[in-house]
Amino acid sequence: MKSIWKFFESVKLTIILLIILALASILGTLIPQGRSAAEYAARYGSLSGLFIKLQLTGLYHSAWFLALLFTFALNTIVCTLSRLGPKWRRAFKPSFEVDEKGLQALKVKGRARFPGPLPEAAERVRTALSARRYRLKTSGTAPRLTVVAQKRRLGLFGSDTVHVGLLIILAGGVISGFTSRRGELDLRVGQTADVPHAAFQVRLDRFETEYYPQGGVKAWKSTVTVIETGAPVLTRIVEVNHPLTYKGFSFYQTSYGWDWDNPRLGIQVKKPSDTAYLKDLSLKVGERLAVADPDFTHIAVRQFVPDFVIGEGNQVQTRSLEPNNPAAQIEVWKGEEKVYSGWSFARYPDFGEGHKVGQASFSFILKTYEAPQYSVLEAATDPGVPFIWLGCIVMTVGFFLAFYWTPREIKIVLEEAQGKTEAVLGGIASKGREAFQVEFDSLIESIRRSA
Amino acid sequence: MTESTLFTVTFILYILSALVYLVAVFAKKEKWSGTGFVLAAAGFALHTGALILRTVVSRHAPFTNMYESLSFLAWASVLALIVLDRKFRIPRVAPYVMLIAVGLVALASSPLMPKEATPLVPALQSYWLWLHVSVTLLGEAFFAVAFVASLLYLRADTEEKKLKMDAVAYRAVAVGFPLFTLGGLIFGMVWAYKAWGTYWSWDPKEVWSLITWIVFALYLHTRIVMGWKGKRSALISIIGFLAALFTYFGVNYLLSGLHSYA
Repeated sequence: MKSIWKFFESVKLTIILLIILALASILGTLIPQGRSAAEYAARYGSLSGLFIKLQLTGLYHSAWFLALLFTFALNTIVCTLSRLGPKWRRAFKPSFEVDEKGLQALKVKGRARFPGPLPEAAERVRTALSARRYRLKTSGTAPRLTVVAQKRRLGLFGSDTVHVGLLIILAGGVISGFTSRRGELDLRVGQTADVPHAAFQVRLDRFETEYYPQGGVKAWKSTVTVIETGAPVLTRIVEVNHPLTYKGFSFYQTSYGWDWDNPRLGIQVKKPSDTAYLKDLSLKVGERLAVADPDFTHIAVRQFVPDFVIGEGNQVQTRSLEPNNPAAQIEVWKGEEKVYSGWSFARYPDFGEGHKVGQASFSFILKTYEAPQYSVLEAATDPGVPFIWLGCIVMTVGFFLAFYWTPREIKIVLEEAQGKTEAVLGGIASKGREAFQVEFDSLIESIRRSA
Repeated sequence: MTESTLFTVTFILYILSALVYLVAVFAKKEKWSGTGFVLAAAGFALHTGALILRTVVSRHAPFTNMYESLSFLAWASVLALIVLDRKFRIPRVAPYVMLIAVGLVALASSPLMPKEATPLVPALQSYWLWLHVSVTLLGEAFFAVAFVASLLYLRADTEEKKLKMDAVAYRAVAVGFPLFTLGGLIFGMVWAYKAWGTYWSWDPKEVWSLITWIVFALYLHTRIVMGWKGKRSALISIIGFLAALFTYFGVNYLLSGLHSYA
């Protein structure tokens, strides 16, 4: 047991663990994480099997990485605990076993002489120290007194506070790992969906994309209503950086899109020979619309793509789900005879020229294309999060204490001889010795002046 | 005056400051250090003006693309130098920090960096942009000073110079490490939680910030607990700065991830 404690008490272990954690983390950024086996096989060939077996492809969640983190946490706990006792005694039970020689060996030191007796001298020393916010402890009896003056004692525990903060963060990470739940909700406007793992539902009332005047997306806004036991509870706008939180669940705007499977298209028919002729039609893909016209009887849209591109094998494809180049394939019948089939492009209305149909010529313009938009919200609950924030706060306080709240300690031996008192002072500060020296000198000066 | 005029004058002042500081060190004209400082401070004042002007015109924080963040990092490095120089008198470190600032401003001015201020994408519209980026870059600026001091430690020929450089590097890390932890990791986690829904997702930028943090944690532990000072300390702080540099530049250009802004 003792040897286990000794093992985890070692700072050398900390150093080794930190180095291994750093190297492993680097490895995890060099090997792409969480891809498919096929992708690794293409990338690393025969090595891919080994990588997967060693869990290098999901490194940060692998058993060995978590074991390293666990060992690191244990090491931090033991190191911190084993140093706490001595520090506690230094801060709250300081030793009075000092002599003049010991004080004179310190780097910050001084002397003062008083013409009066011990109690009077001690009072002056105490006043000067208290004025500089030192806490005093006195021991001994006349003719010899020892005073220990301390300030910023909490600074001694700065590094321990940082360690505690780090451990709380690690604990928060473990809690997140075991208890956090997240899932994506694809919601069309008007649609209501159950929130996974929650006892309520959300409905998307409205979704809009705002643009800057010079182009570029300014905001995606989903108006979301929370519905509990059939009744609406609250309505909020969810935006990137402005999630909605309700009963431990948060909803984030993560993505959006259009349901292009069933758009409603607006098509305009023109006859160049007859400028007065203008017909606006509204139809869906696959719908065959009867039209009263001398030149044709039916019109239909065979296919629609939001981002037209000619792919492999001269196939029409869509490059993306964004409406960058919406195009519709229009077919026209006269009775049973298909008299026309061709593409119209919303962004390039002149591209599809006039077409001869019978005696007249036509042109088709894709005017509008409306598909139901959907918003993708991430629903997440993570009970580990409060621990993370607590850990962060504790750690920040710890940093302040460790670097900027340097403890100072001054020990004074006062000795009376023949009605006169001599004070010998020595100071200890682990950091910021220049500033401490300045304070110490002014202290000696004010003690002498008062004498 | 426009932002680009202010920026150009800043650039010239930084170059002059670096040159004057170099003369002070190599021609042993210690009085010139004072002039170097005045030039750096004047450049810093104009640079501050340029950043404010850009903020007013673009109506967002002046570090949303590579040009802006390089310029801000240069500004932060000069600020770190001014702060540490007032406190510890570091004329020997100053010329090289000014050279770093000149290099950053030159890089920012290169034609490869688009300079126009573009409106913010939704993910960047948050006050955490201010807190996260400015505090992180300020921390990295102090690491840059520690880096210079550590290099000078390795080149120092007298014990007195060595002691001084070792102390300066430590003081710079003592400021940089808490700032980097707060801005890079803590504010980063808070913002990630608000924008992406998770405080930590092992994104390459996050991992490299953690690696940088680990290197400086090693610096402090080897130094304070194991008493490593001097050469080994200097080497660790140099590695730490290189890790910070990779977090800042390398991740964007070499690794892909969520954090694809700057």
